[in-house]
Amino acid sequence: MHQVCEALEFTFVCPLANGFHARPASNMAAVANRFVADCSLMNLRSGSVANGKSVLSLIAADIRKGDECQFRVSGMDDKEACAALRRFVEHDLPACDEPLTEIATDRCSGMLPRALKLAGVNCYFGLSLSRGIGQGKVLVAGDLVAPRESSTETAAESWREQEQVDGAIAAVRARIEAMLLMRVSTTESAVLKAHLAMLGDITLKEKLSELIAQGLPADRAVEEAGQFFSECLRQSESLYIRERALDIQDLCLQLAEEINGTQFRPAALELSEPSVVVADILTPQQLLGFERRWLTALVLESAAATSHTIILASSLDIPTLVAVKDASLILLSGQEVIVDANRGLVVAELTPPVRRFYARELNTLRRRLSALERHSLGPAITADGRRLEVAANVSSAEELIPAFERGADAIGLFRTEFLYVGRETAPSEEEQVAVYLRAARHAAGRSVIIRTFDIGGDKPAPYLKLPRETNPFLGYRGVRIYPEHQDLIRTQLRSILRASAYGRLQMLIPMVSSIEEVLSFKQWVAEVQDELKGQQIDFDAAMPIGIMIEVPSVAFILAELCAEVDFFSIGTNDLCQYFLAMDRDNARVAKLSSVGHPGFVRFLKQIVDRVHEAGKWVGMCGEMAGDIRQLPLLVGLGLDEISVTASRIPALKQKITRLSATACEQFLSRTIDCRQVEQPDNVLERSQPTEAELPLLDLELVILNDESESKEEVIRQIIDALYVAGRTEDRELLEDAVHAREATYSTGVGYGFAIPHCKTSAVSCDSIGILKLRRPVEWDSLDGQPVQVVILMALRESATAANKHMQVFARLARKLMDKEFRDQLLVAQDANTVLTHVARELGLQVETSA
Amino acid sequence: MRIVAVTACPTGIAHTYMAAEQLEKTARALGHDIKVETQGAMGIENELSDSDIRQAQVAIFAVDIEVEKRERFHDVKIIQVPVQEAIKNPVGIFQKVQG
Repeated sequence: MHQVCEALEFTFVCPLANGFHARPASNMAAVANRFVADCSLMNLRSGSVANGKSVLSLIAADIRKGDECQFRVSGMDDKEACAALRRFVEHDLPACDEPLTEIATDRCSGMLPRALKLAGVNCYFGLSLSRGIGQGKVLVAGDLVAPRESSTETAAESWREQEQVDGAIAAVRARIEAMLLMRVSTTESAVLKAHLAMLGDITLKEKLSELIAQGLPADRAVEEAGQFFSECLRQSESLYIRERALDIQDLCLQLAEEINGTQFRPAALELSEPSVVVADILTPQQLLGFERRWLTALVLESAAATSHTIILASSLDIPTLVAVKDASLILLSGQEVIVDANRGLVVAELTPPVRRFYARELNTLRRRLSALERHSLGPAITADGRRLEVAANVSSAEELIPAFERGADAIGLFRTEFLYVGRETAPSEEEQVAVYLRAARHAAGRSVIIRTFDIGGDKPAPYLKLPRETNPFLGYRGVRIYPEHQDLIRTQLRSILRASAYGRLQMLIPMVSSIEEVLSFKQWVAEVQDELKGQQIDFDAAMPIGIMIEVPSVAFILAELCAEVDFFSIGTNDLCQYFLAMDRDNARVAKLSSVGHPGFVRFLKQIVDRVHEAGKWVGMCGEMAGDIRQLPLLVGLGLDEISVTASRIPALKQKITRLSATACEQFLSRTIDCRQVEQPDNVLERSQPTEAELPLLDLELVILNDESESKEEVIRQIIDALYVAGRTEDRELLEDAVHAREATYSTGVGYGFAIPHCKTSAVSCDSIGILKLRRPVEWDSLDGQPVQVVILMALRESATAANKHMQVFARLARKLMDKEFRDQLLVAQDANTVLTHVARELGLQVETSA
Repeated sequence: MRIVAVTACPTGIAHTYMAAEQLEKTARALGHDIKVETQGAMGIENELSDSDIRQAQVAIFAVDIEVEKRERFHDVKIIQVPVQEAIKNPVGIFQKVQG
C-alpha cells in the first residue's frame, strides 16, 4: 500500500513591505492551527524553515519583501489546510501590511514644542506607558538579568538540563494559571494569557531543546532563547511586536529564576532626593520598595504595557517611559534629567531654556487640570440647557474608582467577559457576587449597567466547549448561547440580583436579535427571583433590564421590544459593521466602514426616535460615543447617555457645555442629508458649526506682567492660555501655524505692538489672546523697536470670508494705528481694564469679573 | 488731491487693514481726498468704482501680492510700495505722490 504521505506544496513571494512581522505571522499561524496537518514554511532565500503554526517561528524566519517562500503541508487534513493557507496567502496576506486603523487616543500631532527644538538639546524618545512629567537625578537600578557567572558551570547531561527546563516551564505555567484564577483585571489577564500562549509555543520549546543539545546548561539555554526571540521580535518597529519582545524576556527571566531557584533582584535602592529610576527590568516589588515622594519618573528598558510594574506605575501616577534606546548608556547616574512621558521623551541636557520651558509646562498642566475638573465633576449640560449623561465603560470593579474620579456620571457598560475567559472553570456565584458588590460599593448610589457575558467562538473559555468558527462575529455568541448554557447565565443572574440589593444595578443583554431571546431571558430572571425569594435573599425587584442594539434587525422590532425592556444601549462597533457589512478588523474595508455614513446616521436617528416615542431610555456605548469629533452628532441625536473610556470624559463633558443642542440637531439634519459617504472628518471639519461660541475675547486669555524672554516664549504662553481654556488640544500644531505666518514677515507692527495670527485646525473656536510683557522682547518689528503688548488671534480653519471674527481682527488691526487706543492698552494695569478697553473699541460684548 | 489706493498682504488678516488705516489717516491729515480698497481674506472691500478711479490723479498700491482687477487702473498713474511701507512711513508715500 502506498504509505508515504506526500506533502502538498506551494510557493509564493512575500508581498509585505515590512516583511513578515507579527500581524501577518499571527494571522497565518491562526489559519494553520485550524488544522491537524503539519505546516512548514521555508524561506528559500535564507533556507530557514519555520513552523507555520508558531508565530515566533514565522517571525524568526526573517521573511522580507520579495523573498520566495515555500509552504509544505502534510498530514490528515492536508488538502483542506493547503487550500486554506493558499487562500490566506493570496487574499489576506497582502492586506496584513496595511497600517492598522489608529486607535483613537488623545494624541496630538506628535510635534515637538518649538522651545525644545530651538534649545538644540538631544531628546531621547521612548514609549510612554504612564503619562506625566518628572524631573530628578538618574539612579540606575541594578541589572535583573541572570548574572553571567552562573552560566559558566558546565552543563550536566542534556536530559537533566532538558528536565530542568521542562520543570521550569511547568512551574511557571502553573503559577500563571493560578494567577489567572485569582481576580485580576482584564489587562492583567490579557498579559497572563499571552504568556501562557508563549510558554506553549512549539518553536520556543524546539529552540530550548536545540540549545541544550548544543551543550548549554538549562539557565543559559533559557537566557539565549529569550534573547534570540526578543531580538527577532524587536526587528520590527511595530509597537505590538515590541511588547511581545518584552513579554518573552519577562517569561524567560521567570524560567531562569525557576531553574536557579533564586530571585535576580538586587538589594533595594534608597532614594533621598527627586529621582528618575532607570532600569532594565523592574519588578513590582522593587517599584513598591521605592519611597514614592522621591520617585519622579521611571525609564525602563523592558516592560510591557500590560506588565504589573506598569499597571502599578500608572496607578501611582509615576511618569514612565519604556524602550528608550540605550537608556542606561545615555542616562548616567547622578545626572539631572526630565522625563516627559506626555510626549514620550527624555531630555538629558537641562539648559536654562529647557528648564524654563518645563517649569512653565508644569504650571500650564496644573492649570489645565483644574480647569477641566471644574467642568467634569458636575453634570454635562449643553449651552441651551439639555443634559447628556456621560458614563464610563469598564471591565472590572477596580476601574470604577478612577472612572468616577474623572467625572463619570454612572457606569454605562460593565463588561463581565473578564470573569469568564482564560480559565478552566466558570466563575462561581460567590466570586461573581463579590465583584458586583464591589462595583455597587464603588458606585455609591450611581447606576451601574452590567452586561451579561458576551462570549463566543473568538474568546477562550474552554469549559464552554464552543466550536471554533470561521466567522465568530456572526456566530454563536452573546445571548444566543444562553439557552445551551442556562446554568451559567442563571448563576450570573443570581449573582447580579443578589448584589442589586446593595446598589443601583441594571442588566444589559448582549447580541439580541429577536423578541424571543428577551422573553426567555426575562423568564430566567423571574425564575431566579422566585428562587431568591424562596431563600429569603434580598434583591432589587425593580432592577431595570435593557438590551444592546448591535444587530440591525432589532431596530425594526423596537415597538415590541419597548414593551418588554426598560432601556437600550447602542453598541456602535458591531452595529456599524453589521449594518454596512464591513469587518472592522479587515484593513481593506475598515477605512470604508465609517460611522459617518449618512445611511448609518439616519439609522441611528430612527432608533433614538422610536425608543423615545415609547418613552424609554437610550444610550450609546461604542467607540463612536467616545469620539469627540462625533459629539455634535450624538448631541443632535438626542441620546440620553453616552458611555466611554474614562479618560475621555473630562474633554467630552467640557465640549458638551459648549454645544447647543438645537444647533447640533440642525447639524445632524445636514449630515443626514449628505448624499455621499464622506469621511466623518470632512463633514465635521467643514461644517462644525454647532459650538455655542466661546467669546472671541475672554478674561482667561488676558495675561499681564508676563516674564517671557523671547518671541517664542510669548507665543507659547498665549497658546498655553488657549490650552488651559480648552480652545486648543494641539499646542504644537497651533504653535507651528503661528510661526509659519511669522516667517512670511514679522507681525511686529511697531509702537511696541505685535499681532501674531493664523488660521488653523488646531483651535476649536476663534480666539484672541492678549499678553503684556514685564520687559519688552525683540520681535523684528517694522520700526525696529521691541514689543510690549502682544495680541494673538487664532481663527478656525473653516473661517470663511464672511467670518465676523475676521472683521473684528481687521478692525483691531486698524485700531492699532490709533495712538490713543495703543496708549490706553499700554497703561492698563489689570486684566479687566485691558479686556473692557479692547472689547469696547471693537464693539464686542465680554464678561468681566469683579 | 484725489487719490485711490489698494492695500493687500499675503494673509490678508491684519496688515492690509493697518495699511489702509494709515493711508486714510495720513491723507486726511495732509488734506487729500482718498478712497482705499482693501483686498484681504474677506475679499475686496470698499471697492473702487471706475468713476472713483477716473477722478483720481494717482493710485497707490500698498501691496505684497498681485492686485486683483488691476485692469481698472490702466489710465491712472500708479505708485507701488510694500504694505509695510504704508504702515511704517505713510507720509513718505504721499511725498512721493506729490513729487
